[in-house]
Order: sequence, then structure tokens, then C-alpha cells
Amino acid sequence: MTAAPNPTATPPSPATSLPSPPPAAASAPSGRANPSLLHRFAASPEAGVGVACVVVFAIIAFAAPTYATPGNLQVMGRDLSQLGILSVAEALVILTGGIDLSVGALAGLAGIIAATLNVNLHLPAVVAIVMTIVICALVGAWHGLTVTRLKVPPFVITLVTFTIAQGLSLAITSGTPVNGIDPTFSDISGYYVFGVPVPALFFIAVVLIAWFVLERTYAGRQIYAVGGNREAARLAGIPTRRRIFSMYVAASAISGLVGILVIGRMNVADPSVGPGWELTAIAAAVVGGMSLTGGEGRILGVAAGAILLELIANGLLALHVSPYFQQVVQGAVLGVAILLDRVRARYFGRGKG
Amino acid sequence: MTDHTAPSGRATIARLEGVYKEYGPVRVLDLPELELFAGQVVGVVGENGAGKSTLMGTLSGAVHRDGGEITIDGTSLAPGSTEAAQRLGIAMVSQEFPLVGQLSVAENLLLGRRPDKARSSWFVDRRAQQAEAAAMLADIGLSAGRIGLDRDVRSLPVPTRQMIEIAKAWGRKPRLLILDEPTSSLGPVEAETVLGLARRLAERGGAVLFIGHRLDEVREVSDRVIVLRNGRLVADLSPREATEVRLIKEMVGGELEQGTPKAPPADAPVFLRLDGVTADGLGPVDLEVKEGEILGIAGLMGSGRSRLIHTIAGAQPATGGSMTLHGARHAPRSAQDGVNAGIALIPEDRKEQSLVLFASIASNVTVSILRTLSRFGMLVPRAQRTAGAKIARDVNVRMQSVDQPIGSLSGGNQQRAIFGRAFATNPRLLLLDEPTRGVDVGAKAEIYGLIDRAAAEGMTVIAASSELEELQLISHRVAVMNHGRVVAVLERNAATKEAIMTAAASTSLPAPTAPASEFTPLGEPA
Repeated sequence: MTAAPNPTATPPSPATSLPSPPPAAASAPSGRANPSLLHRFAASPEAGVGVACVVVFAIIAFAAPTYATPGNLQVMGRDLSQLGILSVAEALVILTGGIDLSVGALAGLAGIIAATLNVNLHLPAVVAIVMTIVICALVGAWHGLTVTRLKVPPFVITLVTFTIAQGLSLAITSGTPVNGIDPTFSDISGYYVFGVPVPALFFIAVVLIAWFVLERTYAGRQIYAVGGNREAARLAGIPTRRRIFSMYVAASAISGLVGILVIGRMNVADPSVGPGWELTAIAAAVVGGMSLTGGEGRILGVAAGAILLELIANGLLALHVSPYFQQVVQGAVLGVAILLDRVRARYFGRGKG
Repeated sequence: MTDHTAPSGRATIARLEGVYKEYGPVRVLDLPELELFAGQVVGVVGENGAGKSTLMGTLSGAVHRDGGEITIDGTSLAPGSTEAAQRLGIAMVSQEFPLVGQLSVAENLLLGRRPDKARSSWFVDRRAQQAEAAAMLADIGLSAGRIGLDRDVRSLPVPTRQMIEIAKAWGRKPRLLILDEPTSSLGPVEAETVLGLARRLAERGGAVLFIGHRLDEVREVSDRVIVLRNGRLVADLSPREATEVRLIKEMVGGELEQGTPKAPPADAPVFLRLDGVTADGLGPVDLEVKEGEILGIAGLMGSGRSRLIHTIAGAQPATGGSMTLHGARHAPRSAQDGVNAGIALIPEDRKEQSLVLFASIASNVTVSILRTLSRFGMLVPRAQRTAGAKIARDVNVRMQSVDQPIGSLSGGNQQRAIFGRAFATNPRLLLLDEPTRGVDVGAKAEIYGLIDRAAAEGMTVIAASSELEELQLISHRVAVMNHGRVVAVLERNAATKEAIMTAAASTSLPAPTAPASEFTPLGEPA
């Protein structure tokens, strides 16, 4: 069953050590190339979502002629800058084993703050943007501190922020949208690069940065360790509090960025926008393979999850499905995706944990 | 105090002065002075709650000491910082194997640090990581190819995880290595490897603190044995002084009556019969157990001890053969079927498989009898508390109240509570997997008493254990497993250590001829 040590081989003998003696050169190329690419893809938790994206896109594109048009693709790209970026923010916190219910409401509030700073206090757009993101980061710092120092459950503390942020948006604006924001905002959201809307580029950039930090830096790998087994991480000398703290700060700052992209896109800051998005973001993260207990899942999967949800949401519009049924269909698709993932996990033996 | 163990001129690696730790009003550790010398393996023994783990924790930084000075090689150690402790060369192998199940073997081995040859201090150098991880495994005699550096640690069996934890600590090239019951989940061969590592570090001029429950093992490996009781250092002995009797006396603070001799079973009818039973990694197994008999199951790690227990209980599906229980066909499809047939299983891992640690003692011990406790489907809290108190009293759980969380009890008390829960269902067959794992010497005797009592009351008991002494002590007969099969069934007086090990370790199946010292058979799947 297990590879057991050989007591006679305490000084490593050729029989028990590596296939090729100098350890520095060993195993890196040979160990990784062995399983076929297809098998590795199928065994990866992201496989299901990736395939689902392609299948869903193909089916809807076939059924609804407007779906795959450049114009509609651009719409989806812009949508992704909201849902997709927010999903990444959510995933960062979920990785630590926490949850952030405030990302949607905070994004909404960020839009209001930026617009208010710009319109009512006459600050330049750039200053307003920077201040907004700093304020959001401070909110994240508050989350991080209460979670790591006072051991407040993340669910509770971010629910508090959700409620306050939602209320504050309405209170600041008395419930009416803020008009007359600086054209800089809509410039950020309005331009295209080779036909790709700039907000979609933001999405790609956020995904790539998050992916790089989590997969390729020590700090990122330590976040997985903290989320997977906090005690083990602590005993191994990883600064667990700092790692968790940083993820809350990043999530809130990214939420602020989303809020700014949203008001730019609508050219108005609407106080009713934002709350509710956190649930879609959580759904995208889970569909993308994030475990709500933490320490598991990859950013590319989350991005695929967000893309899948967007493909479906947009596709239902393109198919002229009754709006009353759209949510039902979205929920059902989520259910199927999660069930399929469990089936896949069973076949590849990673299900039991 | 340390005269005989401190040959003058020997370098001191760790020095503890006035170190203490309090939880509420209780002082769980109080050490006026303790020095650990280079080239020494220091065994630490004591009952659960004696302060062993707290001592280790203060040294490794996992526990924030409330006062006192610790110096490592003359440098003072900041309290409560695992990072600081690591910087000074302290590495700890904990009982709980703190590994991250979701991460790969390589990442776990290098958890919290960078490979020595990493090209960057920010970005992961995968190649260096893999190379160093493989070298770390090879250094303690494990093969990276066989374990798989890219595998998730959670997919590995417990003993392998323990070895990885040991490789992880060893790879930090520690000055002071703390081993907290490192062998409790290992088979004899792996345990030997670990003891060898402790000796190796001592020979290189490091120091080792070795906590153990198996006194023979502690004595075998240590140059010096210290005994803790109620947080205080009560004895500091040379190996010669540290006889088993002396150690136990110091640990419990008085004389302990010897293990009770047991009544052999009456000429009872066969209660459980297995005919050619097979399951994943098991069998075919033929076995008969009489009513009121205690059958011990011995075998190396991976030999199928737990599988046999689980298959009888219905927790693992049998793939062939047949079982009869009290003459009736027994074909459980789930653990629930087993329970309905009057089987109680006490699994290996208390914390993971038995208890809800933060729930009260009462709710933990009554969980098996909730149906009989409730009236018209409703549960009366008072009835549950009363029943809980009765169960806990019955097995002598020492507690302040049945409302305290069960996690606040010592390991021995928790284990007795689990026995109480099992007895409450009036089982006909009691299945035990490592019944005294992580339980101190005093509490072990009480658990043996409970096992005896169960058999005397007519329960049939099957107990799998990796501790041979334990099996010799409690069993009427010992069945020895090897590669998923029962290769020998020894009567109590024939069950010597040599006989058991010979059967357990022989590679060519039924022939038990190889001398016990020459076996290295573990690698193959069992």
C-alpha cells in the first residue's frame, strides 16, 4: 500500500533513491511529462468547466444567430469585467478558508464614492479613483484584522460590511443616481483594443496577476497552505495572519476597481447596483473548482467558471428565454456543473480527500 | 540534577530557565532549569497532561510560554514564534502531522521555506523544489519515485504522511529535533528508521527530544530520560536507571498494580465465523472467534489489520466469501447494517472518526443511543444529560461536568468515553482499532480493564493493534496478518514477540521461517 522506508538504506542506496543519482538534475522533466496531456487535463478540476464553456458556447451560438456576433462578444467581455473580476476577488478570500459577502455591495459603494468625490468634491478623476481604491483596501484591512486578530467569522464581519455598504450607497445619494461624472471614467470603460473592450483586458490582467501570485510565488503557495491546513502552516513558520490579511485587502481593493469600471460603463453611478453580485461571484468560484473550506482550486478555474456563467446568462437573453425562467435555468446549470464535477472527482480518485 | 548526564565540556544546545506556562489557574509546565546537550537523545515520558506537549510547544514556538528564558546555542528564543524557533534550528515532528492535504508532497516538504538552491526568494523555483524534496526523502531512506512528489498529500496513507512529516523536519537540518510520538502510527520497520534518525542527529552533534508512549522504545533510543508529572520535572535518569518499573512509578507518582491476569474464555460457542472473506486489499480470510473471546490482530503497517476490522463492521464492502454472526448470515452493506447486527466499532482516530470535539461530553457519548433516549421522536435534554452522565461514570471518565466539551478531556478520558458510548448500545461484538493510540500508561491500564470487562460480560472482542505488548497483554489469541491474509493464529502462551514478528514479516507467504531480524518486506501493496 505505501512506499515504506528500508531500514538498511539509511544512507540512501541506489536502489531506494532517485532513478538518476544527481538529485539536482533528477525527476523534474521525467516526472512531469509522463501522464498524457489529455489525462492530465481530464484529471484537473478545471476540465469540466472548460469543456462546459465550449459546449455551451457552441450550442447557443448554433441556436441563436446573434450570440456569436462581435457586438455580443464585446458585451460579454464587458460583463466579465464585473462578474469575472469580482469572482477572482471572492476566490482570493475563499482560498484562505473564508468568505467575503461584501464584494458586490462594496463595488457598488466604490462607484458611489468615486462619483461623489469627483462630482460633489470636484476632485480629478484619477485622484478620485485612487482614493476610492485606497478606501476599499482599508475596508479589506478591517476585515482582515477582525478575522485574524479578533477571530470574527468572515461570514459575519463581511455581512456587516455588506449591509453598511448597501445602506451607505443609498444614504450618500439619497437613492438617486449621481450624474455628470468625469469622462475619464467612461474612457476607461469605453475604449477597445483591437476590438477587445478595455474592461475585458482588466479582467484578463487581474486573472493573470492573481494566477501568477498564487501559483508562482512563495507567498501565493503559502496562501494555499494556510487555507488547506492553518495549523500546519503556522507550525511551518508561515505568517498565517499576514497571508490571510493580504487576501482580504486584495479582495476589497479589487472590488473597488470593479465599482469604478461599472460607473464608467454606465456613465452614471447608480446606488442600486452591486448588492447581489457576491452570490454570483461565489457561484463562479465554486463552479471553477474552489473549495469553500479553503486551500483548493485555481484561479484559471475561477476565470473559466465566471466565463461559463456569463456565457449562460447572456445566452439565455439571446435565446429569448423568459426572464422569469432565466434564474431557474442558471441555478439548474450550476447544479449540473457541480454534480458532474463530483462524478469526475470520483473517477479520478480525488473525491474523498 | 543533571550531574550524571552532563559530562563537563559538552556543549549545551538548549537551555531552559524558569520556563512556565499557565492555562487559567493551572500551571501546566514549570521548569526551573533544563539543559539539553549536544550529541544526546533525551527521552521524555509522562502521562497525558504531564506537560510533554507543552514543553515541546514552548521550544518549537507553537505554544507561547508565559515566562522564563530559553536559549538555543546561546541565542535567546522569542516566545511563541515558530519562525524564530526555526531560524535557531529547532524542528518539530508533531503527533498531529501538520501537513496540508491539498498540496503536493514536494510543497509540503518545503512548507514555509524556500529550497536552498532556489534562484529567487520571491518566485517558486519548481525545479529546485522538486530536487530538494527528492533529496530530503532519499535522506531518510524513502524513494521519491515511489511516493510521488506531485501527489496530493491527502491521497497518501497515514504512515506515509508521518514519514513525510519526519522528512520535512529532518530536511531543515535541525540543531534540536523534537519528535512527539513519531512512531505511534508507524509499523516496526518505519519506527526503526525514525529511531535511527534520532541517533544520527545525536552523532552529528545535534540534540533530540524524543517523546514516546512505548517505554521500551524510549529507553532504547535515549541517552537520558526525563520524566514529567503535572508539568514538573520529577526525574532525570540515565538509561541504566530508567527501568520500565521506575519510569512508570515516576510517571504516575506511586506504585501501579501489574496488569490483571485474565480468565480464559469458557468453552463458548463460535460467535463470528469468516469463510474466505475478501475485500479491497484483504483476504481471503478464514477466522473463527468465540463468544466472550478477545482476539488480537497483529501485523505490520499495511498488512490489512484495519481492513479486516472495517470489513467485519460493514464499513468496507466485502467482495467475496461469507460471514456468520451468532449462526446467522452476516452480509453488511454499510456500517449501519453492522450496528444493527450488534457490532460496535471503535476506530483508530479518535478526533477524526469518533468525536465531535467541541460538543459536550453528554452529546458525544449519547449519540449512539439517541433513538432509545427519545420519546415519540423527541429528545429531552435532561434525559440526555442524565444518560450521558451515567455512561461517563460507568467508564470512569474524569470530568467536571457532562456539559464540558469532550475536546477538553485528556486522550485517555476521551477514549474511555468512546468505550462508554459503544457499551451503551449493548453490542455483541466489539471491534477495536488501536484502542490505546495516544493514551498514557495509566489510562492504558484502565482501557485494558474495560476490554476485559466487555469480554467477561459476554461480548466478543477483536482488537487490532500495532503494539505487540498490548496484544500479548489483552488477547486470548493473536491472529497475525501479512499481506491481507491471516497467516497465523497463536494461542496466548504461544504469542511471543518473536513468533508474531516472524509471521508478520515473512515474505514468502505461509512459511514463517525467516528470522525476524532480516525482514524488509513492506514496500509492496498489501
